Amino acid sequence: MIELPEERFPGRDAKVTVRHLAKSFGDNVVLEDIDMTVLEGTVTAMIGPSGAGKSTVLRCLNLLERPDSGTIDISGHRIDAESRFTNRQLYALRREAGMVFQHFNLFPHMSVMRNVTLPQQRILGRSKAEAEQKSHELLTRMGLGDKGSQYPNRCSGGQQQRIAIARALALEPTVMLFDEPTSSLDPEVGVEVLEVMHELANEGMTMIVVTHEMGFARTVSDDLVVMADGRIIEQGEPKRIMEDPSHPRTQDFLRAVLQR
Amino acid sequence: MLQAVLSGIPLTLGVTFVALVIGTAVSMPLLAGTLSKHRIPWLISRGVIDLLRGVPIVVWLFIFYYGVTIGPTKLSPFGAAVLGLGLVSGAYLAEIFRGAVSSVAAGQYEAGRALGFTNVDLWRAVIAPQAWRVAIPGYTTYGIGLLKDSSIASTIGVAEMVFASGNYARTSGEGITVFMVAAAVYILVSVPVGLLSRMADERLSRTVAQ
Repeated sequence: MIELPEERFPGRDAKVTVRHLAKSFGDNVVLEDIDMTVLEGTVTAMIGPSGAGKSTVLRCLNLLERPDSGTIDISGHRIDAESRFTNRQLYALRREAGMVFQHFNLFPHMSVMRNVTLPQQRILGRSKAEAEQKSHELLTRMGLGDKGSQYPNRCSGGQQQRIAIARALALEPTVMLFDEPTSSLDPEVGVEVLEVMHELANEGMTMIVVTHEMGFARTVSDDLVVMADGRIIEQGEPKRIMEDPSHPRTQDFLRAVLQR
Repeated sequence: MLQAVLSGIPLTLGVTFVALVIGTAVSMPLLAGTLSKHRIPWLISRGVIDLLRGVPIVVWLFIFYYGVTIGPTKLSPFGAAVLGLGLVSGAYLAEIFRGAVSSVAAGQYEAGRALGFTNVDLWRAVIAPQAWRVAIPGYTTYGIGLLKDSSIASTIGVAEMVFASGNYARTSGEGITVFMVAAAVYILVSVPVGLLSRMADERLSRTVAQ
């Protein structure tokens, strides 16, 4: 059963709009006609078995993966996969979306401070002093105010992921994309990261989170998207889907996940 | 005798240094070609690299010495030596750098792109510095190899260390000793360079282990 968020939350503006998104790798169809709307200030969780295409949707949103067809609109920056677009349009779209990866992907040759500061200088044209102040503010908020001069490899996984979140937030994106942000962390460390994400949601950040954390999906997200075989098979109120899934694949998936 | 050997040092170091500079410069477009997703630049780069590496250095030196003329004049022995050694070095260095670049994790490109870096900034701030650290040991090893290969320049009459030693050996008849001295000088130069490179490598890997 598909309940669209625009029907559940009337009057809210769309922040991300995806229409007819499709992607194949050779003969392998990864995404098939994906339609998705994410409303301003809401958290959308995406779940489903591995290989369902959740991460690919996320990676298509900021064109890390070039879709074969479909349109993507983030905060009014629109790209049609089938027509030509300029690098300027591409950078403008990416600037709207901050992304957090499963493996953090911090720059290992830079200090923590420089990881967060350099993108601000290069992409927003901020002065070094201005950027460093912003970095310090964000790192402090992440509970990492004293880590600025360290190198990423001296930080724990949970710390690295929070640095990665600070690095993305420093560019003041209007949407945050999380691609399995806790999947490579021990559960007790993952909690630190989930807490930060929860706070961010409370502050009204629009977020799309690909995750296997059912607790987070259930309690924090406003909209739950279930994917299987490159399609959205179910969407709607998270608690409703978790308690009473209508699609047989959702039922199988939830049974498997919740039994663990 | 020592003076005779040492008189070749400026040209040994000169040939090595200039050839390394030329080689580094030449390696960059070759590297760009081998990393290119487009067929034509990739094919051209591969072709040039295989051609340069497929012919012995000494043959290249003779080709440039006898074959290249600028207007009415031939290349000087020094010019032919640094051009030949430089081009061949370019091919080998391109391969060393290509290996280093491909050792940078795919996630680094993704993170840079997702942040909104332009391709130039991504390359300059994220990929090149990491690749360079990986390339340092291979680069210095190649440089030390080139120091020794610069002796090939003696075949076209560049008066570097081996050439100078040979002259002295012929006139004095002290062949063994003079070449032993030359060998010692090569070691005295190359060992500290290798040591420095290893120290630099260790220091870097302590701060930025992958």
